[in-house]
Amino acid sequence: MITVIKPGLLMSVQDKGRTGFRHLGVAQSGAIDSYAMVIANRLLDNADNDAVIEITLGLAQLKFECDTVIALIGTDMKAHLDDTAIYPGWTYTVKKGQTIRFAAARNGFRAYLACKGGIQCEKVMNSRSTDLAAGFGGATGCALKEHDTLAIKPFTEHWPKLGAISPAKREVIRIHPSIHEELLTQHIINEFSSKKWHVTPQSNRMGVRLNTQSQSLSHSHSLPSLAVAPGSIQLPPNGEPIVLLNDGQTTGGYPLLGTVIEADLFLFAQLKPGDSIRFEYVDIATANKAKAKLDAHLAQLSLALENAKH
Amino acid sequence: MDLKTTTSVVTLSSNSLFLDATHLSEDTLKIQKKIWALAAKCKASNAFIDVVPAMNSLCVYLHNSDELVRWQNELTNWWQDIDTMQHQGTHHKVITHYGGEHGPDLDFVAKAHNLTTHDVIQLHSNARYQVLFLGFQPGFVYLHGLTEQLHTPRRDNPRTKVPKGSVAIGANQTGIYPADSPGGWHIIGHTDFNLFDYLNNPPSVIQPGDTLSFVSVES
Repeated sequence: MITVIKPGLLMSVQDKGRTGFRHLGVAQSGAIDSYAMVIANRLLDNADNDAVIEITLGLAQLKFECDTVIALIGTDMKAHLDDTAIYPGWTYTVKKGQTIRFAAARNGFRAYLACKGGIQCEKVMNSRSTDLAAGFGGATGCALKEHDTLAIKPFTEHWPKLGAISPAKREVIRIHPSIHEELLTQHIINEFSSKKWHVTPQSNRMGVRLNTQSQSLSHSHSLPSLAVAPGSIQLPPNGEPIVLLNDGQTTGGYPLLGTVIEADLFLFAQLKPGDSIRFEYVDIATANKAKAKLDAHLAQLSLALENAKH
Repeated sequence: MDLKTTTSVVTLSSNSLFLDATHLSEDTLKIQKKIWALAAKCKASNAFIDVVPAMNSLCVYLHNSDELVRWQNELTNWWQDIDTMQHQGTHHKVITHYGGEHGPDLDFVAKAHNLTTHDVIQLHSNARYQVLFLGFQPGFVYLHGLTEQLHTPRRDNPRTKVPKGSVAIGANQTGIYPADSPGGWHIIGHTDFNLFDYLNNPPSVIQPGDTLSFVSVES
């Protein structure tokens, strides 16, 4: 068992998320950086989709009530296991009674903590992810609070020290073309892809909200509701784009500037208010190649871990 | 207008396609019936992670992105062949307590239209509504069929908490809040009908393409 001493800004139980229910208005939820989640799980020989703890910004503290092995992936929050500094990218053996403390992230926003065997909780609609807005899933149906407990299976055997490199960060996010180019005009599309955008403090797991110095993208279009998904880039009339993330709603009436390619969506996990990004339109072939490259990264990791065992 | 030639299926991403049937005809309900029929056919194919109808449009998310082009063609063909009458939904009766503590805005809506509260209840509960699609939050149904006589601009001050089960009117729409949430619609009644329960399978009793009527009961 794990006891939450301090949840920090936002801490929740997530797996890959919920699919198959979007037509009923159910959001995906799930780890914003699904690659970090998978890497953490593979270092522990867990299933890829085992539930992990998503930590936002840091300033958090957890106490382990049993022996286990953990893997920490994501941004460096200057974590300590009792008094020993621990680093993202590695596994650590944890003894009953030990405490993990996270200071604050400097260069990113989220970290993922996996435990051997995964966080144990009931699946809701085939997923252990917490749907923060609707209030179900995870261990408690909401963000973790002080004194909450998370069930894990005790693990007392020896586990090798294993490490993994995470996929490289990019400053330019690659996106699929807009389906509303004609409506929005080429001018708006060009402006969007040429400007540097800043992440605003209103950003959260539902979406990253962006602004720039000049409000040149404002418009007066409203559309019949259409389906949207993580990666959809909405342009509300105020001209400030919203990149929908995992907790984003299933339908919306704003025109779309494009869709973030699947291989770059995980990058949003590490964006915090004040960070800046740019966008670049790419074709399907480029998007598929980028996805194949990430998949290869994971495949190489599995191969290396397999070799490490022998 | 010819429904067959003016619809396009476009790619949203490596694994998602969008069929846009807006602007095709004034008869949005007729188009929506085709959307429901197409959605059912897509579901039955098991090729998709999610099949999401919205207003006169359909979005599908593929399991296998290698099949993107094939499905783009397939959907275009299916759309041409599909029959509006292929879809048969379930009818739901939503027992509703109108007015009083259950519907604090019923008087306002009545006054806004120079009607009695009794008229509003009659107009609202006599209609048979079509469930166009779900969205906004789990179990929230977008309904078609609110009489123009009851179209009411949204509240100037949205409530920070609208109770679960509230039956409400906002602009040209009526709906039911499946969970406590902020909201700017006028609350005219309340129902105990459980729109969404994550422990049920399916979690939402009401599906896109179903029909619904409100049944007035004495409070």
